[in-house]
Amino acid sequence: MAQVNQTYASTRRRRAAAVSFRVGTLLALALVVGPALWLVLGVVVRAVPHWRWNVLTTLSQGTSGGLANAVVGTLVLMAGVAVIAGTIGVLTGIHLAELATSSRSGALARGAIDILAGFPSIVLGYVGYIALCVGLRWGFSLLAALLILSLMVVPYIAKSTESALRQVPTNYREGAEALGMSSGYALRRVVLRSALPGIVTGLLIALSVAGGETAPLLYTAGATNNLPTFSLLHQPVAYLTYYVWTDYNQPSDAAHYVSYDAALILVVLVLAMLAIARIIVARTQRHSETSR
Amino acid sequence: MDEPIRAQTTSEAIDPVLARLDPDRDRPTDVMATDALSLSFASTTVLRDVTMRARQGTITALIGPTGSGKSTFLRTLNRMNDKVPGFTHSGDVTLYGESIWGPRQDLLTIRRRVGMLFQRPNPFPMSIRDNVVAGVRAHGIARGEQLDVVAEMRLREVGLWDAVKDRLKESPYRLSGGQQQLLCLARALAVGPEVLLLDEPTSALDPLSTDAVERLLRTMTPALTLIVVTHNLGQARRLSDSTMFFFDGRLVEHEATETLFANPREADTGRYVNGLMG
Repeated sequence: MAQVNQTYASTRRRRAAAVSFRVGTLLALALVVGPALWLVLGVVVRAVPHWRWNVLTTLSQGTSGGLANAVVGTLVLMAGVAVIAGTIGVLTGIHLAELATSSRSGALARGAIDILAGFPSIVLGYVGYIALCVGLRWGFSLLAALLILSLMVVPYIAKSTESALRQVPTNYREGAEALGMSSGYALRRVVLRSALPGIVTGLLIALSVAGGETAPLLYTAGATNNLPTFSLLHQPVAYLTYYVWTDYNQPSDAAHYVSYDAALILVVLVLAMLAIARIIVARTQRHSETSR
Repeated sequence: MDEPIRAQTTSEAIDPVLARLDPDRDRPTDVMATDALSLSFASTTVLRDVTMRARQGTITALIGPTGSGKSTFLRTLNRMNDKVPGFTHSGDVTLYGESIWGPRQDLLTIRRRVGMLFQRPNPFPMSIRDNVVAGVRAHGIARGEQLDVVAEMRLREVGLWDAVKDRLKESPYRLSGGQQQLLCLARALAVGPEVLLLDEPTSALDPLSTDAVERLLRTMTPALTLIVVTHNLGQARRLSDSTMFFFDGRLVEHEATETLFANPREADTGRYVNGLMG
């Protein structure tokens, strides 16, 4: 039949639509991947040529010296946020997904979380400064910085926990229910296990965000050239983004080097977090449906 | 002796005596029964006035078109519908003569005694061995090394042991669909249920796996009482002792399977079993 090889106008249109859709998605992907690579490479290219390892072991002297105080400070901040925001965020997420599914309190909590997530971080920082550093007379301190940073990332953690729990197949829940597991037991032994990769990934991304944050810390953590002490109050804490920000604005090469070094360390930290997230996901997914 | 026994056969004389000696004579042989059970979700009535009984050690098939209420009925028997928003019921469901909603009944114990197997195999995201003993652990039935014994026993029972004995620590999702369903069956059996509810247990399986599951189910009576929802009329005929035909939320007919298929009493039953109604 002659008609078999005939290309209809509608077929051509459909093909054109498919091709342009593909091109569109590729373009969007390039717009995401390009800048990410450009940023990482930009930092690496500027920092690596003058990199000295003793940056990690010597204290800062303002616009020169090392960054040991800032590295330790950032790690302490991230660890503290992991504990405080991790606990609150994960528990909130569990509550939203498992307990407050249709209730009014759930809607209220979700609204509050959305508002919190939409708050500019500098406003949170300033509120922290007024309320904690000045109001409660804590001064620039680890605790004020931890609380404000935690407040900032709790919404991320709660949201990612909630969505990870919602993606747990109904199959698992029904199976657990039919075996006579209590809902708490099923949550701990079956549901959370299945949601763990999503929860951990959300947590680590939130920690990367916390580690890369500057504005709220300027108001709450202050600045210091010393290592963090064990006191929660009245002692400022150093952090990497401070040096990225202040030293870049200095007119000397030495200060710029410090700035790029701090940026490089941050990038490596963030990449390490993402790698850890991947490893945890891979390890806990050994028995999951997706990794056969 | 007030009167001499005037029996025509020996058995007529002896049976009542033997029956009196039977320690189980007062125990109801109806394991699960419903009495005028009606059920609604909010304003939608799903079941109307269903009265049935499932005798000890029998297999009862539930058939009927989609939306006839048979799956809802099945899920009511282990109280899986209790938490569905808008759930209300009247009438009763009894397990060995006691209401499953009775004040002394513990929901988790009911679910242990009345197990369930689902349409799609649903192993948990844990190792094969942990899957088998998941319920046993939850109910504290066994612990430590006993769990390995339970796992082996149940896996042997469902004929899966030889296939999985070298990969007990591996993911269950590498097993075939049929094997996964057998694993779920082993998991359900491990907690020692008295009744097993099966919701289209083979509809997601290939014919060979279906055959394996069916053969296994037949070996589980009389210890267990099975209630099976199925869309597969052949399966109902092959497997069950009696069959219940549901239509539009009502139990239209409950008869011995052979009778129901050969001489349906109701016109609707006849049309359904002869393929005139989907």
